[in-house]
Amino acid sequence: MKLEILNALDGASILKELGANAKKSTAASALAKIKVPHKKSEKYRYFDIEPLVSKDWTVFHPESQEVQSKGKKIVFQDGILANRGDIEGVSVELGDFSDIDGAHFDGLYYLSHLLAKKTVIIRCSKDASFEIEHNFSQSNVLINYRVAIFVDANTHCQIYESFKGEAEGSFVLGGYDIFAARDASLKFIKSHTLEASGYTPVWSSRYKVDSNAFFKLSSFDFAKSNGLNIFKAELKEGANFDASHLLYGTNKAKCGIVSEIEHEGKSSVSSQNAKSILDNGARGIFDALIRVQNSAKWTKAHQNSKAVLLEKGAYMASKPQLEIYIDDLEASHGSTTGQLDEQALFYMRSRGIKEEDAKKMLILAFAHEVVATVDDEYLANKIYAEFERVYYGYYELDCLKTCENCQDTTTGL
Amino acid sequence: MSKVLEIKNLKAKIGDKEILKGLNLNLEEGKVHAIMGPNGAGKSTLSKAIVGHYDVEVTDGEIIYKGKNIVDEEPEERALEGIFLSFQNPVEIPGVNNAYFLRTAVNARRKHLGLPELNAAEFLREMRAKVEELGMKKELINRSLNEGFSGGEKKRNEILQMMMLQPDVVILDEIDSGLDIDALRAVSEGINKSKDGKRSFLVITHYSRILDYIKPDYIHVLKDGKIVKTAGPELVAQLEKEGYGSFEEN
Amino acid sequence: MAQEEVNKAIAGEYSLGFEIDIEQDTVPPGLNEDVIKFISAKKDEPEWMLELRLKAYRKWLEMEEPTWGKVEYEPIDYQAISYFSAPKKGPESLDEVDPKILEAYEKLGIPLEEQKQLQGIAVDAVVDSVSVKTTYTEELKKHGIIFCSISEAIRDYPELIKKYMFSVVPMTDNFFAALNSAVFTDGTFVYIPKGVRCPMELSTYFRINALNTGQFERTLIVADEGSYVSYNEGCSAPMRDENQLHAAVVELIAMKDAEIKYSTIQNWYPGDEEGKGGIYNFVTKRGICEGENSKISWTQVETGSSITWKYPSCVLKGDNSVGEFYSVAVTTLAQQADTGTKMIHLGKNTSSTIISKGISAMKGQNTYRGLVKIGANAHGARNFSECDSLLIGSECGAHTFPYLESKDNIGQVEHEATTTKISDEQLFYLRQRGINEEDAVSMIVHGFCKEVFSQLPMEYAVEARALLNLTLEGSVG
Repeated sequence: MKLEILNALDGASILKELGANAKKSTAASALAKIKVPHKKSEKYRYFDIEPLVSKDWTVFHPESQEVQSKGKKIVFQDGILANRGDIEGVSVELGDFSDIDGAHFDGLYYLSHLLAKKTVIIRCSKDASFEIEHNFSQSNVLINYRVAIFVDANTHCQIYESFKGEAEGSFVLGGYDIFAARDASLKFIKSHTLEASGYTPVWSSRYKVDSNAFFKLSSFDFAKSNGLNIFKAELKEGANFDASHLLYGTNKAKCGIVSEIEHEGKSSVSSQNAKSILDNGARGIFDALIRVQNSAKWTKAHQNSKAVLLEKGAYMASKPQLEIYIDDLEASHGSTTGQLDEQALFYMRSRGIKEEDAKKMLILAFAHEVVATVDDEYLANKIYAEFERVYYGYYELDCLKTCENCQDTTTGL
Repeated sequence: MSKVLEIKNLKAKIGDKEILKGLNLNLEEGKVHAIMGPNGAGKSTLSKAIVGHYDVEVTDGEIIYKGKNIVDEEPEERALEGIFLSFQNPVEIPGVNNAYFLRTAVNARRKHLGLPELNAAEFLREMRAKVEELGMKKELINRSLNEGFSGGEKKRNEILQMMMLQPDVVILDEIDSGLDIDALRAVSEGINKSKDGKRSFLVITHYSRILDYIKPDYIHVLKDGKIVKTAGPELVAQLEKEGYGSFEEN
Repeated sequence: MAQEEVNKAIAGEYSLGFEIDIEQDTVPPGLNEDVIKFISAKKDEPEWMLELRLKAYRKWLEMEEPTWGKVEYEPIDYQAISYFSAPKKGPESLDEVDPKILEAYEKLGIPLEEQKQLQGIAVDAVVDSVSVKTTYTEELKKHGIIFCSISEAIRDYPELIKKYMFSVVPMTDNFFAALNSAVFTDGTFVYIPKGVRCPMELSTYFRINALNTGQFERTLIVADEGSYVSYNEGCSAPMRDENQLHAAVVELIAMKDAEIKYSTIQNWYPGDEEGKGGIYNFVTKRGICEGENSKISWTQVETGSSITWKYPSCVLKGDNSVGEFYSVAVTTLAQQADTGTKMIHLGKNTSSTIISKGISAMKGQNTYRGLVKIGANAHGARNFSECDSLLIGSECGAHTFPYLESKDNIGQVEHEATTTKISDEQLFYLRQRGINEEDAVSMIVHGFCKEVFSQLPMEYAVEARALLNLTLEGSVG
């Protein structure tokens, strides 16, 4: 099916067209109102959404398969729950999810809810640390799935999200609805490498952070092809949301973050820091809004984007936004796009380091600041290694072509 | 000796925390009073209460200044009546010219006292003389109020304002904090010159060093929200030797 | 301070809300090709101009009103507006200007008799649809400078007009620009010849007077190689319950080594605190730095209008050219402003600076919206933006929406923004020194705006400060 055809329909007809559960009628009317994204959608201004919504997709709907229950991982295969894991205090069920956001800004959030017959519901009732693995193998299909995560009150969890497989030509549409209850904490770490000939993911999520809960999001996207992360976070009184994003884009990939952080409760705190390294024709997107409602006094909100353009064809679109409706707060944002620090570069070269090596060292240092936000040392090392693999992988090839006797001493590879 | 400021059974809190717990203090005209006490005793709260700072809520007691209870008065009314606080950390106000600000303040006070306002030339003449006296950098008068000033420059600027405004009661909150020896000398000289037999000083400090420069007539020990001891300057030596531990509430 | 007192202090009375009681020629409300022909005929325009107007009108009919601004208003009925209104007596010399107009301009503080004016400021006075008086024209002619109404320019300098009008803001650039292109009535034309430094400040004062009319002026300034000009505009309107539309277009062209400094003090009637009445100020302003080392600098102080929608922009085409945007926008009462700039870097080593200060009080909503675009060939381009917002009171809003797009790996784009209220600490410090609360707030606000005011020519800086005080009077509490 072509997703864009839904834009001609009203809520009831969308529901019928997609054969969705009548309970999702609110989502359908919301979609009818804000539309499936198209060329002129403000939130998709810098991302190529048109080819994805205009293509005639085969929606991937396999027969239900057996779900395993072993190990410390929850595993998805092409959007289907394959292994619910065996993690103490963490239940994983397929079910109907009714708590769809009534006021999300993104059409694909609603569309993916409407397309999903069932939602995978993960409930954390005890402190836990586990991994969610996504595997993709189906080419040229539309893969759609939704996951909801509930972290119970005063429960503390860490979730690491990893990805495997290429699924050439597929469109992966999905996302999370995450609820961090009062006094809960969640560290959510995502590391995603998008290969050049893989699928295109658009994740559209909603995070609800209840009173005094803490949500820490660290996302690492190493992209050789297009991908977009969309989320909305709602912060209740005293809630704390801390997001760090590292993006490395190359090979003309268009990728990045589109987000809205909504301060609803008093004394809520948010901080969002994005770093982008753009190479070889890639486009980085940081389109991030912080809205502070009139009810949210004593809010502290800060956002920052730093981007480095490594070569001429690279492109950064930075759009940090503040929308403020109360005077008693602290809010600021900053954005810089430029090149590596010339002084630092010169200093290193004057100590005898080759310019290329000096640049690499500075890039690694730049990236490392984001990796350092992950306090699980094992994961931090793993992510850093992955960044090096993707980053040097590209340079190594380049290097082999251009020079002989090349011995890269900084990588130790 | 007449009392210029009389604090009776003052209770005050910051947020939910009671800091001053029935404090009594009399300030005599023309005298230098020093308040000493350990960290957290309530010294800064006391100075804030006297000038009507928004952080401090007075829950009981009176502050009688020139015969009138000023607890409910606006901060600018207290200032115009002659109470001056040299802030521990003077705030920076971007874009507001230092000289312009001070002239506005001086003329507001003069107007209040029924004196003619100073025109720009008169004001600048007077201000320049005092700037020189204090050994301040001249360019500071044309900069934004306290913006980018060093710690010493900020304190000199406070004393400059004090000298220009000619207040009756001067509260010096940790005037020596963050000062090098030259600045300390310049600042205390400025203060000593302002003693005219009528003006009273309240020096708030937790080091005795400043009292070598500004000779106090009275020492008050503030502990746990109350004045627990009042004596002459000889008390300084005892405090240095024994600390505050030996002073228990009477 | 109690919020009410603050509000009272901020929402100073609008002092320019009087009406000039003069006889006026006004066409009945409505827009069609006949109205456009009427306007063109009234102005004795050549045929080619009428053709251009009609072309713009036909394009406009196919266009849609933009909705992306963060402003809310009732739909405008374009057929309910009168598109031409002029004082009946057309003056030949100052003696023939209706004394009531002279009086009105004196009230606004802008005497039109040259001997009464501040030295060195030439004025073009526009009431509703026509320019009533341009001063110092002869004096300026000696330097080869053309300073006249745009209607005169169309008749007297057709080649310049044909060459430059619509060259920076195409007639179909946007809905309001297209409307303006079809129905523009008057405005100012300035041409500074090669190597000439304009010896005086040029200025236009716009006055909306008639009821139910729109004002659609068009300004075109061309600074030839190596020239310099500083141009200022001011505006005001009577207090009325109805909203009135003001859709102007300004085009600036700076050739090699030329510099244009354009300052605006906008004080259209802002409406009341419920949002009733006031001017809809939908304006397209754009300059092009055509030649190398040229410079265009926009400074605006926006205190009036119920709705402001304007983005004075620079296209930096010449290598090493410089664009600047300095803005103070105040929204109080129920005013809404969506304003900012666009800096389009095309040439090498071009640089731009954006300093925007937004002040919101009462129910005011203030939005900064800006685009910085560094093209792939703009090697070494640099931009610095600083957008600060000050909130006074808990019902207002301040929004910052920068779009920063960079395609150059040598250049640098830097943006910073903060949103704060006046800090209790600062306010207290001033009050402890005996300054009353209202004066203390005013002092802090002026400090906040200082960087922008310092860009204005002296006389206008004084006016801007006074205006800011008046606007803020009563809204601090």
